[in-house]
Amino acid sequence: MFNFLKQVGDYAKETALAAKYIGQGLSVTFDHMKRRPVTVQYPYEKLIPSERHKGRIHFEFDKCISCEVCVRVCPINLPVVDWEFEKLGKKKQKKLNHYSIDFGVCIFCGNCVEFCPTNCLSMTEEYELSTYDRHELNYDNVAMGRLPYKVTQDPIVKPLRELAYLPKGVTNPHEVPAGSPRAGQRPEDIMEQLEQEKEEKEEEGKEETASS
Amino acid sequence: MNSGIDLQGSFIESLQDLGIPAGAAKVLWMPLPMFLVIIGATMGVLVAIWLERKISAAAQQRIGPEYAGPLGVLQPVADGIKLVFKEDVVPTKSDRWLFTLGPILVVIPAFFSYLIIPFGQNLVITDIALGIFIWIVVSSIAPIGLLMSGYASNNKYSLLGGLRAAAQSISYEIPLALAVLAVVLMSNSASTIDIVEQQAGYGILSWNVWRQPVGFLIFWVAALAEAERLPFDLPEAEEELIAGYMTEYSGMKFALFFLGSYVNLVLSALLFAVLYLGGWEFFIPLSRLSDWLGVSETSSWLQIVTASLGITMTLLKAYFLVFLAILLRWTTPRLRIDQLLDLGWKFLLPVSLVNLLLTAGLKLAFPVAFGG
Amino acid sequence: MNLAEGVQIVSFGILAAAMIGAALGVVLVDSIVYSAFLLGGVFISISGLYVLLNADFVAAAQVLIYVGAINVLILFAIMLVNKGEAFAPIRGRWFRRWGTALVGVGLFALLTTMVLATPWSLAPNSAEAIEYSVVEIGKHFFSDFLLPFELASVLLLMAMVGAIIIARRDVIPEALPPEETQQTAYTLQERPRELVSMVSQSQPTPE
Repeated sequence: MFNFLKQVGDYAKETALAAKYIGQGLSVTFDHMKRRPVTVQYPYEKLIPSERHKGRIHFEFDKCISCEVCVRVCPINLPVVDWEFEKLGKKKQKKLNHYSIDFGVCIFCGNCVEFCPTNCLSMTEEYELSTYDRHELNYDNVAMGRLPYKVTQDPIVKPLRELAYLPKGVTNPHEVPAGSPRAGQRPEDIMEQLEQEKEEKEEEGKEETASS
Repeated sequence: MNSGIDLQGSFIESLQDLGIPAGAAKVLWMPLPMFLVIIGATMGVLVAIWLERKISAAAQQRIGPEYAGPLGVLQPVADGIKLVFKEDVVPTKSDRWLFTLGPILVVIPAFFSYLIIPFGQNLVITDIALGIFIWIVVSSIAPIGLLMSGYASNNKYSLLGGLRAAAQSISYEIPLALAVLAVVLMSNSASTIDIVEQQAGYGILSWNVWRQPVGFLIFWVAALAEAERLPFDLPEAEEELIAGYMTEYSGMKFALFFLGSYVNLVLSALLFAVLYLGGWEFFIPLSRLSDWLGVSETSSWLQIVTASLGITMTLLKAYFLVFLAILLRWTTPRLRIDQLLDLGWKFLLPVSLVNLLLTAGLKLAFPVAFGG
Repeated sequence: MNLAEGVQIVSFGILAAAMIGAALGVVLVDSIVYSAFLLGGVFISISGLYVLLNADFVAAAQVLIYVGAINVLILFAIMLVNKGEAFAPIRGRWFRRWGTALVGVGLFALLTTMVLATPWSLAPNSAEAIEYSVVEIGKHFFSDFLLPFELASVLLLMAMVGAIIIARRDVIPEALPPEETQQTAYTLQERPRELVSMVSQSQPTPE
């Protein structure tokens, strides 16, 4: 008898607990309703990519020495380096004919950029790589040599700052005034501060030596 | 209690003054409220769809529809027009007749139930003795339409969706009916008008929510399941069944299903307002307020104010519940089919039986508070 | 004849025609799914006839129980087993058909003679409509129809208990078949789940 009552009590308790959890969930959802939308109306507004954005890879033909390091460090050996030996007097030299990366296959890991000995590869901020034919994504050295459009210079696009570049406490990028500083300190500020501290210490040291 | 505005009586009287016999005048009157209600129900659905999209967007910190009309209020209209003009595809290997009949059978019962929704003392199409029972009866036809369309589509997802829908709506009809029965027991009548009037008198304090704390929860859970709203939207679970019984439908037939599901949602919300939230009653009893202000109950402007306030209150309560349903949609994850049936048969059914028994006992013990 | 009577007669004609047509369809249509759907039509037309007879509660109960529950269950059963296979025609099928038709026509003739022979108390105007038929039905259930009502409830209870027992075979202790013959299906090897608190206790502390 008591066992049965205990079972009923446990069941009721579980039910109440479930109802409580549903209530908590509802309050969380309700809390979200009063937050402002974070929508970026994409084709008309665009987020400014960050400095380390890993976008389409830029290639400088003249800097390349056809060493094929990029091919070796690539997870799938994607870059195609077409070169041949060229006799330059007595010296034999590599001559680059074509260079291409298929961005339909590339995963934008940035290994090639990292390992390129002459820095002829670099990441750009371009990420709009949609085409009607996937073969159009196979960029050759000419296509890869083009510079990307900058979002901030496009007259029909309203550039918006990403969350990390907004002032402290602001989540909506729409109404941020142009020159407002981002949260935290910039690297140059930190350097300046460090130098200032160093100078102060040196001055203190001088004073100490002077006094003693 | 004053009867308020009697539109039907005055309409028939004025026609009789023109020399039309009483029977014919009544016949002329009859299509008017029906037409009005069909339009009203459709408008209610459009509002519900807009609310659903806007509130969903707010819950997900999006903007939602914003270009069609101010704040995107015309978006559901645009969607409807698009659906009307879309090609009406009937799959080759489907059963043409059943395929067409299915959506019709789903939509008609939903609209039919609006017969008994009262917006005021006389603002109801029919005040029949069966009242709320009509809704339960009529909504039990819908699963046949769902099964029909699921079968006729000749598609595994559709068939599964149809079977699930039928199983779900049979299972949840019983707790729903029992929860309604407890209310009917308290008001000694199944007529929606009587149910609301029984809750009048003390304003918000005399609403049924306080007397049926378990009953209204059962009703709301079961009504959500009947309307296939999100924690219970298994018949059209996108991840498993694409769109369930709607998979093969397009154009106007799909629009009918869509309309039907939203009509059901608004209908459930309206009935919840009628059964538990005092229908057209204001938070404070209006008759006392008018007494206090020294206004005669029979003055025509007071009646007009009461009638419009009644409609507003009913709609306000109903849309509050729609809001709650949308909030639930973005809070709760979908149940599994066995969990759904467990909840229906092993939890809601016994609890609703106990609720009914308790209500009957309390009615015998305290006839004053529980409608002796 | 006034307007209301005319409407009644017309709707009676429509309902009767729909009912007979649908009932014939149930019997004559080849597809069993069509038969089941037409059965729903028959039930709904019967409910319409009840409405014409001022029996509103019976009409509603007819729709709720026969269309909403029984017909849906029939459809369920059909759709869960319907494989759409072509059945081989049985020999002597025509004999069965004609035999059934004969029995049906005989029953019909019997009922017709019964209807014609019974002295119905036909009033020129129908009796006063009862406003709350539910109340009247309830009163009858608890006075002169108490025994059938209670018997029906006991019968339903028995059916329910039986259904539960059939559905839950594990309740009935059965003689287990010997172990060798038992062909067990391959099951996923799953570690028995432990409670969260026990897991956290039993976990070795990382040193």
